[in-house]
Amino acid sequence: MPDTTHEQHKEHPVNDFSDLEFGIDTFGDLPRDDEGALLSYGAAIRATLAEAVLADDLGIDAIAVGEHHRPEFAISTPETVLAGIATATERIRLGSGVTVLSSDDPVRVFQRFATVDALSNGRAEVILGRGSFTESFPLFGYDLSDYELLFDEKIDLFHKLLDEKPVTWEGTTRAALHDADVFPKTDSGRLRTWVGVGGTPQSVIRTAQYGLRLMLAIIGGAPARFAPYVDLYRRATEQLGTTAYPVGMHSPGLIAATDDEAKELFYPSYKVIRDRIGALRGWPPLQRSEFEGDVEHGSLYVGSPETVARKMADAIRALDVGRFDLIYTAGGALPASARLRAVELYGTRVIPMVRELLAETPAPRAMTGAAFRR
Amino acid sequence: MRGSTMTAQDGRLEFGLNSFGDVATDHGRVMSDAESVRLLVEEAQLAETVGLDIFSVGEHYKEQSVDSATPVLLAAAAQATSTISLGTSVTVLSTQDPVRLYQEFATVDAISNGRTELVLGRASAIESFPLFGYDIAEYEELFEEKLDLFLRLMREDRVTWSGKHRTPLDGVRLHPRMPEGGIPAWIGIGGSPDSVVRAARHGLPLMMAIIGGRPERFAGHAELYLRALTTFGRPELPIAQHSLGLIADTDDDAKTIHWQYWRPVVTQVSRERGFYPPTAERYAEEVDTGALYVGSPETVARKIAGIVRANRLSRFDLKYDLTHLPRDVREQSIRLFGERVAPRVRELLGEDPGAWDLTGRETSQIVTGGKAVHA
Repeated sequence: MPDTTHEQHKEHPVNDFSDLEFGIDTFGDLPRDDEGALLSYGAAIRATLAEAVLADDLGIDAIAVGEHHRPEFAISTPETVLAGIATATERIRLGSGVTVLSSDDPVRVFQRFATVDALSNGRAEVILGRGSFTESFPLFGYDLSDYELLFDEKIDLFHKLLDEKPVTWEGTTRAALHDADVFPKTDSGRLRTWVGVGGTPQSVIRTAQYGLRLMLAIIGGAPARFAPYVDLYRRATEQLGTTAYPVGMHSPGLIAATDDEAKELFYPSYKVIRDRIGALRGWPPLQRSEFEGDVEHGSLYVGSPETVARKMADAIRALDVGRFDLIYTAGGALPASARLRAVELYGTRVIPMVRELLAETPAPRAMTGAAFRR
Repeated sequence: MRGSTMTAQDGRLEFGLNSFGDVATDHGRVMSDAESVRLLVEEAQLAETVGLDIFSVGEHYKEQSVDSATPVLLAAAAQATSTISLGTSVTVLSTQDPVRLYQEFATVDAISNGRTELVLGRASAIESFPLFGYDIAEYEELFEEKLDLFLRLMREDRVTWSGKHRTPLDGVRLHPRMPEGGIPAWIGIGGSPDSVVRAARHGLPLMMAIIGGRPERFAGHAELYLRALTTFGRPELPIAQHSLGLIADTDDDAKTIHWQYWRPVVTQVSRERGFYPPTAERYAEEVDTGALYVGSPETVARKIAGIVRANRLSRFDLKYDLTHLPRDVREQSIRLFGERVAPRVRELLGEDPGAWDLTGRETSQIVTGGKAVHA
């Protein structure tokens, strides 16, 4: 569906969260089969397709697939996977989570997403980011010391391409464009575009400046500590006269029948991947107590449907977000059957429960501008 | 089993349907880019239904062309089909990054469960060079270097590589992985003998794009290719032809409608590339004895059977779309190509195998181990 919702003005004094959207995210982690063997890359991609089809059947609003260039992950080109999902689904939005714009070419990113948008009848959404992993920089010949410059320039160009008119642009990180028209064009005239932000105020302000949607990547700590970013985004859009879209958040988790089952499924393989990545970033090995703390108070949505629903409702209320995406494969090499089950429980149990919980106690809307739009 | 090895194995001629992502019309209305994208997926499904062997798309970067993101289109077609092979014609390798290309096509191959292939070329259209910041003066060098890297990515597990046009790789292993040895990759040529020899040198099957003039003149290229394969100690590999055409109930119907849509396209290209604009007389000649496969099923089948023998083909691809060609005309042409032309060509060749049998028999020797195209 074309993105026309922002045209409507709704000025609710309280947020009843009636237009809240729910998504699932995956990095394309290689799952295991029932015997514990790791699936091939091809089988992992097909598993993601099956999960997307189930999510669509269950009425989940969105799926986002990440771009990674590490052996644990099967997805290095999100749009190609999204194109497969587009053909197999009818309603679900199709996003990247995130597109590492800094090491890609904005022109190609636009062409690929405009094609996904066409294939899906307008369901594509780009989520641009700088990426928390750095593998793509040496792989594609970019210098990590240009991290800021690359994203600055490329988001500037991408923002121009979004107008779907001939572009003239000059920078230092790609060839200049002179009146270059890029195809295919979308039916709606504009790709729905988010910027994934991990916690840099500057990124929040830039997102507001370009009039793009803000997706907060909250992968650790208490979600409430991100409230200042939501506030900053709204204040910035107000000052800059751009649209304040509903803010999104994405966080990792896993749902199973009981809290214990979810934790026992999640923890062992999560520790493996977390420690492997942690070793690169100088984090100490994960302790069980730290994990339990994150499940209890932090940003791991691991547990029974009820536990996860309560935790999500709290975070959604605290941050006043309009979209919540669960990174359902964050547990690393999980059994494929557990992933599918988690998607099923998310769609059939968690989402309805979150809606109920939020309807029971609407939150005062933290409105800072008259032009707050849904 | 993959398309190109399947051909070789059972000696069966393959028929491909190729699109350049041309925007269509629907009852006189120009379809949007997005509608034209969706039409391609429907046509890939139709191609499978009518028994064609491969559906392929080109790569273009201009107005009224919607095939700028080829792997994305093919991934959608892959999910929408179950047996037909999916390919490109051609992938403009010179302005692509072989690393990204490997990742994209490994993904399409995963989604299609091993039905994906590529035709790599230097392209006759050059829009991609300024758009992606490449120097057209380096046309040849870019292709050679990128082909070398792409083949190494497909054929080796970990790749250490350095060249002039992209950052070096040091023991890089890409993912998702293609099957061992990679996916079938053809070399697309437009008439340059150098490119023919290059295909043979790399041990890659040959796709000859013949879009004008007497197609039999490419028999010399086929001959050169087969000799070059021997010289390089390569096994015999398949030869394919790509040409434009349209099939309708009668010759007159086909010619009338095809001329109407072909003429403006070729007039435009003639302006851009500085050759004479087409005339009705030249067009008629092109249909009768040239490279346009336009006519009734019987006419087109006879013409294809003739060129299959002359050019020693084991695959024939019909480029069926043209800017603003009505979607119902496209649909009818695809149906007739799959349901009437393909079986009739096979029948004609069965009656008198001639030179074609040679290619079929000899290629059948090289698929032991299922690795023909990467020998």
